[in-house]
Amino acid sequence: MSMEKTLDKALLSDWIAAVTSGGWQVHGPALEDGIWTFKPVAASVDLDYPNVKQAPKDFAFPQREIFFAFEHIKGEAPRLKEVKPEAPQCAVFGVRPCDGRGAVRMDKVFSDNVNDPYYQERRKNTAYVGLACNAPPSPTCFCKSVGGSPVSSEGMDILLTDLGEIYIAQAATKTGEALMAAADKLFGKMGAADKKQLDKVHADAVAAPQRAVKDAKGAPAALKAGFDSAVWEEMAKPCIGCGICTFLCPTCHCFDINDEMTGMSPLKGQRVRTWDNCQFPDFTMHTSGHNPRETLGTRLRQRVSHKFRYFHENFGMLQCTGCGRCVSECPVGIDIVAVVNKVAEHVA
Amino acid sequence: MSHSHAHANTYLPKLAKIVHIKEEIGGERAIKTYRLEFENGDGFDHEVGQCAMLSIFGRGESMISIASSPLTKEYKQFSIMRVGRVTKAFHELQVGDVVGIRGPYGNQFPLSAWKGKNLVVIGGGVGLAPVWPIVTTAVAKRADYKDITVFYGARSSKDIMYREDLERIRGQATVHLSVDRAEEGWKEFVGFVPANVLAKKPDPKNTVAIVCGPPIMIKFVIQNLQQLGFTDEQIYTTIENKMKCGVGKCGRCNVGKDYVCVNGPVYSWAQLKDLPQEY
Ligand SMILES: Cc1cc2nc3c(=O)[nH]c(=O)nc-3n(C[C@H](O)[C@H](O)[C@H](O)COP(=O)(O)OP(=O)(O)OC[C@H]3O[C@@H](n4cnc5c(N)ncnc54)[C@H](O)[C@@H]3O)c2cc1C
Ligand code: SF4
Ligand code: SF4
Ligand code: FES
Repeated sequence: MSMEKTLDKALLSDWIAAVTSGGWQVHGPALEDGIWTFKPVAASVDLDYPNVKQAPKDFAFPQREIFFAFEHIKGEAPRLKEVKPEAPQCAVFGVRPCDGRGAVRMDKVFSDNVNDPYYQERRKNTAYVGLACNAPPSPTCFCKSVGGSPVSSEGMDILLTDLGEIYIAQAATKTGEALMAAADKLFGKMGAADKKQLDKVHADAVAAPQRAVKDAKGAPAALKAGFDSAVWEEMAKPCIGCGICTFLCPTCHCFDINDEMTGMSPLKGQRVRTWDNCQFPDFTMHTSGHNPRETLGTRLRQRVSHKFRYFHENFGMLQCTGCGRCVSECPVGIDIVAVVNKVAEHVA
Repeated sequence: MSHSHAHANTYLPKLAKIVHIKEEIGGERAIKTYRLEFENGDGFDHEVGQCAMLSIFGRGESMISIASSPLTKEYKQFSIMRVGRVTKAFHELQVGDVVGIRGPYGNQFPLSAWKGKNLVVIGGGVGLAPVWPIVTTAVAKRADYKDITVFYGARSSKDIMYREDLERIRGQATVHLSVDRAEEGWKEFVGFVPANVLAKKPDPKNTVAIVCGPPIMIKFVIQNLQQLGFTDEQIYTTIENKMKCGVGKCGRCNVGKDYVCVNGPVYSWAQLKDLPQEY
């Protein structure tokens, strides 16, 4: 890494002020009604927190995006007005490594084949200031087993590591370097002792035990072999189709497109994209009523196979980053780690 | 990634005016054929087999196969069956109305690779529309292909779409029509399309067969083609899944790793039989 510096914790607020005056909206973790979410930061922020409940994918891919407005006066041609995303520069402080890796996967989806102009516009104005996990923030974390690491800077512009009194800030991109350079005098040189402590904290973090997908490398082949396994229906049985698993996931990107009316005469409205979810039966249901994924098991198989097989077949990497949200938040305890392990066991 | 797409907003439809409407079939699941001319000097070229997202603002969008040949530049043709929200609204429209269109989406039939071969095009119901540009393009470039044979079947003679077009190409192509049940004055085949194919026995030698129609028809046509000696590589079909984006991002049209809107809708049977049956 090119730029590695120390930052006294007491100076974090000064850095945030400098970043803010550089034209960035700074967001950081905030506890609201018992739920951690990223909120705009006024003065300073406490980075001593577990992880946000919902992955920060909405900075580039908001839950609702207006594509264009339309107006159709009878007897005239419809008029369209493209709505460009209002995308202020956002610097998000405290992004966990699983979610940084999530952003990398979202970038693939929204630039493959055809660029998604809304995503691109927002994404280029978003910077992630990551925070290494000195210890797993949740008992459901399993990032290591899916190719990640609690100290990964993949997808980050800067990775911060908490060394008690100070942070080590490691820039991973030009944007990250610029964010640090904006407040150059706040940062100190990383000395040999700091470096030694950093390496120790990182090594301990990587050594900390986690849950694990037993053989993630073999998962794409195992899920292919286990496509017709009875395990899918069996494990999907308690699913109530609420969709929490996909809404919270850093890499779920499915969406719907609908026309919302704002007036009938003249006919007025807007075409809107909203998040959608492969666990809903009507997600794939044809007009005829025919549904290619009719049962709970086929829909669970889709969610898990997308993460552990299809995405890998398309992009050479697993889509799941092991954040554990879909495991900890599923109201009926459907556990993606257990599902992958069980299907693999079943075909072995 | 193709450069021309880099800055365009794929979700923003162009406008096109309906310049011609033909009622193909009446009844509950009526089919009408629309010719659309781009407004404002807009437009796009397409390949045989590709689709477009058509919009009625305030109703939504539907993915519809482009049923005209790429050689026809003045308009694009679509045959739309009235089934739900958007398609019903389409059936209310008049000549002169303006709709939205974006695309083209999807892959294509490898027509140029088929030069010098016999083509057997097999359609049922509204499934004639996606394969029709194969016929019109091959007939327009008649010297490039050997025999062109078209099978088309409908429930009754009233349900035959593209009736005049089918008659017009006789002479340049062999046309085998069928109706499901016997009718006064019907001189051609009575029975289902798969049976007609088996009765006429197209020769698999140096031939490709392309089939599109209701899933059950496709299934039996493929079985019968195999019985006649067609290999899986010689059989092509198209698949439909529910679609929203058309560009492999909204996630709903996938069959395994493939997004039908990008990697499909055209597949050889050799390719399709290896994919999960989620269509
Ligand atoms: C590649 C492809 C080519 C097609 N070509 C033709 C054609 O040439 N002629 C024709 O009449 N129909 C064609 N269809 C089917 C057509 O897209 C659907 O019948 C139509 O979208 C139904 O929309 P609706 O609003 O009328 O019905 P509703 O049930 O009210 O639609 C609800 C929504 O579901 C979606 N949807 C439902 N069923 C389908 C489906 N089978 N395919 C795609 N989206 C669906 C649409 O996005 C629609 O907005 C094609 C579909 C695909 C995928
Ligand atoms: S969170 Fe659990 S219950 Fe809800 S849709 Fe996902 S798997 Fe089903
Ligand atoms: S699938 Fe579950 S564990 Fe994996 S990234 Fe998504 S929410 Fe996290
Ligand atoms: S229609 Fe959206 S992915 Fe195919």
